[in-house]
Amino acid sequence: MSWEEDLGRAVLEGDEISTVRIAGEALEAKANPQDILQRGAEGIIEAGRLWQQGDYFLPDVILAAEAYREVMDRVAPLLEGDGAGGKGSVLIGSVEGDAHEIGKNIVVAILRSSGYRVVDLGVDVRAADFVEKVQELRPQILGLGAYMTTTMRRMPEVMDALQTAGLRDKVKVMVGGAPLTAEYAESIGADGYGADAYDALAVINRLLGVA
Amino acid sequence: MNLKPMLNVMKKLQKGVLYSKGLRLGRLDGYERLIAGIYGQPDRVPLICQPYTYAMGLHSLPSRKFFSESLPFVHASANMARYLDIDSWNPIFDFYNIELEALGQPLIWREGSEPDVDSQHPLIASEADFGRLKPPAPGRDGRMPFVLESYKRYMDVTGLQPMVYACAPFTMAVLIRGYVNFLRDMRRNPAFAHKLLDFLSMEVVVPWIAKMVQVTGPSIVVMSDAWASPPNATLEMVAEFCIPYVHKIIKATNSPIRTVFDTGVWGERAADPRAVLDMKMDMMVPGNDFKALRPFFLLVWSEDYDAVGIPLVRDYADEKKVCLLLNIYPPALEEGPPEKIAELIKRLIREGAGRGRFGLLANLIPIGTPVEHAHAVIAAIKQFGSYPVDPEKLDGMAFRMPAVEPFDDWYRREGLRI
Repeated sequence: MSWEEDLGRAVLEGDEISTVRIAGEALEAKANPQDILQRGAEGIIEAGRLWQQGDYFLPDVILAAEAYREVMDRVAPLLEGDGAGGKGSVLIGSVEGDAHEIGKNIVVAILRSSGYRVVDLGVDVRAADFVEKVQELRPQILGLGAYMTTTMRRMPEVMDALQTAGLRDKVKVMVGGAPLTAEYAESIGADGYGADAYDALAVINRLLGVA
Repeated sequence: MNLKPMLNVMKKLQKGVLYSKGLRLGRLDGYERLIAGIYGQPDRVPLICQPYTYAMGLHSLPSRKFFSESLPFVHASANMARYLDIDSWNPIFDFYNIELEALGQPLIWREGSEPDVDSQHPLIASEADFGRLKPPAPGRDGRMPFVLESYKRYMDVTGLQPMVYACAPFTMAVLIRGYVNFLRDMRRNPAFAHKLLDFLSMEVVVPWIAKMVQVTGPSIVVMSDAWASPPNATLEMVAEFCIPYVHKIIKATNSPIRTVFDTGVWGERAADPRAVLDMKMDMMVPGNDFKALRPFFLLVWSEDYDAVGIPLVRDYADEKKVCLLLNIYPPALEEGPPEKIAELIKRLIREGAGRGRFGLLANLIPIGTPVEHAHAVIAAIKQFGSYPVDPEKLDGMAFRMPAVEPFDDWYRREGLRI
């Protein structure tokens, strides 16, 4: 099989070791970094399709997302200029006090594989830091993740801080995480809620008017 | 061992069980109401509460002090339970962390919150790290002394035995290894995953349970296992990597007068609901040789019962003759107002209370929640939850919010000093 087929399959199977090896070999063979990312993206998109039709479970998707992240980490720095990310820009992080990153990492992988430029602020991000980065990077979407009922209450603080800084109408805010509901997202004034990573992609596409 | 709490519990158990079967020997106190609610029909729906960080916030205690020193921890929790008139409470510490911290896993401490495992730095980052792992000295390492002292103090304050908490091995493995790493172990290196789980079960959890019940007597032992839940874990993973170790621990620690079980699992909304409920039962039913003490309850979380419907889980609980315990969605308590909270409680009672074998759990009242919101929970249960519950009549009943005394005023007059 060609590296193109091998890479997509390795991502699909969540095999990060093979993924890194194949991507490295492709780079040595002078493959275009953008093509490498695209082949990896096909693996994670297929993982999402299998999950939505019930043939894949969440752990399968997580391992596929992690494998794709390994490719991104190695290949994205080699892209010239903006490279990937033509669809739009997203700033994302887990709110203060929340050290969980799995759900957020899946969203990041799905968005990047779908053509979004994503800046990942990581976990345990203070409201003031979200605001500072929104001010600096001017993303179209701000994604907030919370994975515990004890930390989701930090989300309104971020919304308030954006309002105070005069940035609320300059960025669309998406929220997500296991304890959240659409009703809760609406109650804190978020623009969108993603029930899972693929739903988050669909909502962001809709918010930005992207097909 | 102090025998008085054990004898008290036996007396209350007897009274509660008899009440639930129709033999009513006087009014029930909160603990007896809970027992009656577990085995049948009490006078009204019981409310269990985990004081946790809400008690810490009410007393303006620093996080490290609350979760490390038994006196402020137990007295603050007891004060909160008395102030709110909760039926039953337990000393709830950050029970996922105790064994892990004793093993050497770093925690992150923050004000206004419980400590959390530093998931960026799992203790067993590689298989080689496992070889360096030493079992903790039960009761000596980490904050284990704090836990034991807290149980003793709880027995002094309440005259009752506490429920004893441990972290279940599957969840401990996820936390100590990192979720993605452990997923890879289960898939690519199952022998290592089993070796780790066996170590955590037999070298960590079993000795720790033995040490705790030396202090408390033949208590109920609860292993919490939030990570063994769909969709984070598939049912096949739970069957291979979780259940066998739960059963192994139960076999090693239970006795005719002690019940040991695994709970905290969620995920009915993410898989076949009945399969998840069956799995939960499998984590409880083998927990005791004395059939009357098992299973203790079937706990279903708000995100799940809202998705699959309370009637489904109520019917399942009836079919299995087990008490259904529903938690109260924590953000609803924080958001209020009291009337909306009362409507939520009314709905849970209308759909869940049935003819008994039912309870409500305030597993978390978010820190900073107005005290009126917390009082509204118990007021609504008292107004709407008296048995026999008539769902049709409930709809016509209006909620009356009682006057609420500020906590500081109550504390100055009645509170246990910290």
